[in-house]
Amino acid sequence: MRTRFLFPYWCRYLGYALFLIHIPVVLFQKILGFDIPGQHIDNGGLFSPHHLFIMDTTLLMALGLFLAAFSKEKIEDEQISQLRLDSLQWAIYVNYVLLIVSLILSSDTEHILFLNLLVPLVFFIVRFQWKLFQNNRMLKRDGNV
Amino acid sequence: MKNNIRVERAIKNITQADLADLIGVSRQTINTIESNRYVPSTVLALKIARVFEKPVEEVFFLEDND
Repeated sequence: MRTRFLFPYWCRYLGYALFLIHIPVVLFQKILGFDIPGQHIDNGGLFSPHHLFIMDTTLLMALGLFLAAFSKEKIEDEQISQLRLDSLQWAIYVNYVLLIVSLILSSDTEHILFLNLLVPLVFFIVRFQWKLFQNNRMLKRDGNV
Repeated sequence: MKNNIRVERAIKNITQADLADLIGVSRQTINTIESNRYVPSTVLALKIARVFEKPVEEVFFLEDND
């Protein structure tokens, strides 16, 4: 069975690497500078340093998660496709529940947007990998008979 | 849907890994089919039946609630 629109297997590790790189960069921004109150004056400008930084880190994160989520498995078959589809459905459900709850309870649209960017992909990756792990564990338990 | 892949494998004396290689899927897929956690597509069912040189109906059966 042919699966389309998936990145090669090695892209998964590139994706994880990009995501891991983005964490210290964001921490650096939060702790060491950039976010000092005085700078918020020029926050609104398009392509201001602040805007560029946010854009870079968000792109890094989104691209990393995308590659990690949508790369091929070592052996692609229909069962994996089914698992991927199931996990996507779960991710969309969870995302919309969270989105609606946060829209009702909060008016912090910037963070809601960010959450919306993060949740579907992260939940998808976690759920998909968990199911793969379960399958592997069951395979080991049943023994290769 | 139920199947007797495990029995057929025993008759032919091949492992899950062998069967997986023969039809080009992962071992996990064979395992999930054998333990009735995954229902294979028609293509895959036909491929499995072809390995055992039997009609599909002798490898896969409908259950009452299907």
